[in-house]
Amino acid sequence: MHIVVCVKQVPDSTEIKINPETGTLVRTGVPSIMNPYDHFALETALNLKKEHDARVTVVSMGPPQAKSVVQLGLALGADEGVLLSDKAFAGSDTWATSYALSLAINKLGKFSLVLCGMQAIDGDTAQVGPGVAQQLSIPQVTFCEEVKVNGKKAWVRKATDYGYAIAEVDMPVLLTMMMHKDFEARYPSFLDIFNSDQKPYHVWTAEDIGAKKEYLGLKGSPTQVDRIYPPEKGCETQMLTGAPGEIAQKIVDILKKENCLR
Amino acid sequence: MPSMDAVSRGLMLESLRNYARRRLPYDFLREKDRNNEFPAEVLAEMYDFSTLGVHLLLIPKEYGGIGAGTYDIYRVCEELARMDLGIATSVFATFLGTDPLKVGGTEEQKAKWMSKIAREKLLVAYAATEPDAGSDLVNLKTRAEHVVKNGEIDGYRITGNKQWISNGGVADLYAVLALAPGGPSWFLVEKGMKGFSANKHEDKHGIRLSNTAGLSLDNVFVPKENLIGMEEGNGLTEAQAVFGYTRLMVAAFGLGAGWSALETAVKYSQQRIQASSPLSEKQGYTHKLIVPNAVNLEASRAYIEEIAERLDAGERGLQTEGAIAKYSATEAGNKAAEDSIQALGGYGYTRDFPVEKIKRDVKITCIYEGTNEIMEMTIYRGRWQEHLKTRGEYYILKASEMEALHGENPDVGARASALALRTLAAVMEECRLNKLTRHQYITFKLGNFISMAETSAVFAKRASAAYSESVKFDTETWQAMSRIYARASALKIAVEGVSLVLGAAAESSLPSKINLAEIQSVQSGIMKDMDTVARKLKEVFKAR
Repeated sequence: MHIVVCVKQVPDSTEIKINPETGTLVRTGVPSIMNPYDHFALETALNLKKEHDARVTVVSMGPPQAKSVVQLGLALGADEGVLLSDKAFAGSDTWATSYALSLAINKLGKFSLVLCGMQAIDGDTAQVGPGVAQQLSIPQVTFCEEVKVNGKKAWVRKATDYGYAIAEVDMPVLLTMMMHKDFEARYPSFLDIFNSDQKPYHVWTAEDIGAKKEYLGLKGSPTQVDRIYPPEKGCETQMLTGAPGEIAQKIVDILKKENCLR
Repeated sequence: MPSMDAVSRGLMLESLRNYARRRLPYDFLREKDRNNEFPAEVLAEMYDFSTLGVHLLLIPKEYGGIGAGTYDIYRVCEELARMDLGIATSVFATFLGTDPLKVGGTEEQKAKWMSKIAREKLLVAYAATEPDAGSDLVNLKTRAEHVVKNGEIDGYRITGNKQWISNGGVADLYAVLALAPGGPSWFLVEKGMKGFSANKHEDKHGIRLSNTAGLSLDNVFVPKENLIGMEEGNGLTEAQAVFGYTRLMVAAFGLGAGWSALETAVKYSQQRIQASSPLSEKQGYTHKLIVPNAVNLEASRAYIEEIAERLDAGERGLQTEGAIAKYSATEAGNKAAEDSIQALGGYGYTRDFPVEKIKRDVKITCIYEGTNEIMEMTIYRGRWQEHLKTRGEYYILKASEMEALHGENPDVGARASALALRTLAAVMEECRLNKLTRHQYITFKLGNFISMAETSAVFAKRASAAYSESVKFDTETWQAMSRIYARASALKIAVEGVSLVLGAAAESSLPSKINLAEIQSVQSGIMKDMDTVARKLKEVFKAR
């Protein structure tokens, strides 16, 4: 079984800084990490690898320094790593990114599962995973928390607005993963990092994956970003705690105090 | 050994940081510190292959290790010191304990012991110091006598006492320096050997998580195979050979501990409102307690990195450079921690905040691996020889290099650094003419001046080039720091150098040989630069 995991390098959200003048994200000096949802997807793949003797490939797209997340994947136990890195990819939106990733996955050959994080903590779009599935013409299940493989089928438990749903799907399938609330990212040992340098690692350009340049980068992206700005603080939030009845009473009291109720 | 690529190194540092975040919260460290307790379980985890395997850094690849380069080791040591200097010291002791083997061991010995240290995760101790022999190891009293069997040397019986040995009470393997009939030699002594015991764990001022104990050797028999190098008399040479490198590690400890304290102070200063504005907005606070320390720490970083790169490129020795790195970084780290307590006021003086512990911890870096007074002497001795050999041209040439750099890049403080170097050359020459080096105090002060002048030159050079991965500041800030450091160096050497010479010589024309007017004129802009550094520190270490 071959599992492909898509990972993204993102700024550590605990260190986010916004330039107050331009309203853009300050990336200089901000440490980069593997998107936590992708990290969970990777761990899911590595657990399946242990149970099913699978082969795991990590794929990322980004500037040369994004090698770091691919190598982290290799150090944690993946077998092969691919970084899509080319100026032609710069500025790609979710559509163009999905297009490039799907070409890379196809180039890797046969696969049973593609695992992605449900969204990246920088853009929060949650569009790339589904986009890749669409480009690959395979089914998708989003917001999965648990995956099991049985023969040619995948069993998944996914979150819904009201609880959980269980699904059984034919493979190949793309799953986007959301974390258990108690998930703690694992970090590799020094020896694993050292040995990861010996594993197969490729940097592919747009040409390597046979991508059409007009579908890549800013020009190939249908999304136009108007501006990015931190939300303005409009009002104060008050958190009410206690038993449901107590909270309801507190709300009534507040509404009365504000003259909304008599 | 060359260092690894920046990506692999970055991942290792991140694994280390993550381990510290999960396992070493301040409350845990504070408790161990209060109880004077060696955290054996932490060291066991840090040596565990699947958790970190930190001891593998120093073991060459062919013996099952990683074989990290000096630059890698410097970065890891800085990070270890940010975690806890006691734990860092315990790891360092293993690094240090394997050094005699690495430098002087036979291939067979290396294969046997290095592999064993890697595989069995042995804690190692380096046992050279004695009650009456510290940096003056020639006074060694521990003896190793031949044990003869069938007319051939079968082994040695070692008798003596060792003092201040890191990991002394907890190590599995000890590199012990003893006086054999053929001269000082290193022996490998294993825990549990008959007649070998550790004394009580010392009740220290700081690094209380590091086990420090004396050792007692009473007729301990070690087989002849445990004589490192299988040849007597090479002990002191082997001890000297690694100082360039081991002192760089201690330098990194000073850097890491100093920054750890200063970062706390920078963040605190943004939150503490005094007279309706944060302390971080007040020059009287930042320019006294924060900025000079940040500058000194980054100057020593530049110097450490320069020497690490030279060692990785294959240069050997560099004892004087190792001493400069250790001296400048540990003095900077110690002062930064001291000022951080002051910067936190009453809070800094309590154990609720980490700066009080860091201050107690970092002091040891000014003492172990050769006190900083021994460093001043070593630096002076090394460069005095150069001054004599070149007939006073040594620092004149270095000053010319800085003047050329100033021509290429006038923003890095190279002009002030050139003035510091020229002034240093003049002071040293005046000391020679008046035979002032008969005053030990002057020689030690020269060590101090040399350290500052050389560090300023290296800082200017590195502030002008592409920055390494470890520099958190932008070009504007690092160059401002370099200018501040170079100006202070030139002024200090001029003022204190003249004062020393005039104070000791019957008569001297030194003041006329120093361009004090120009040294004063390059001080222009210092306030603006300090403002820049203060502002950028807040951005880089932003309080939440």
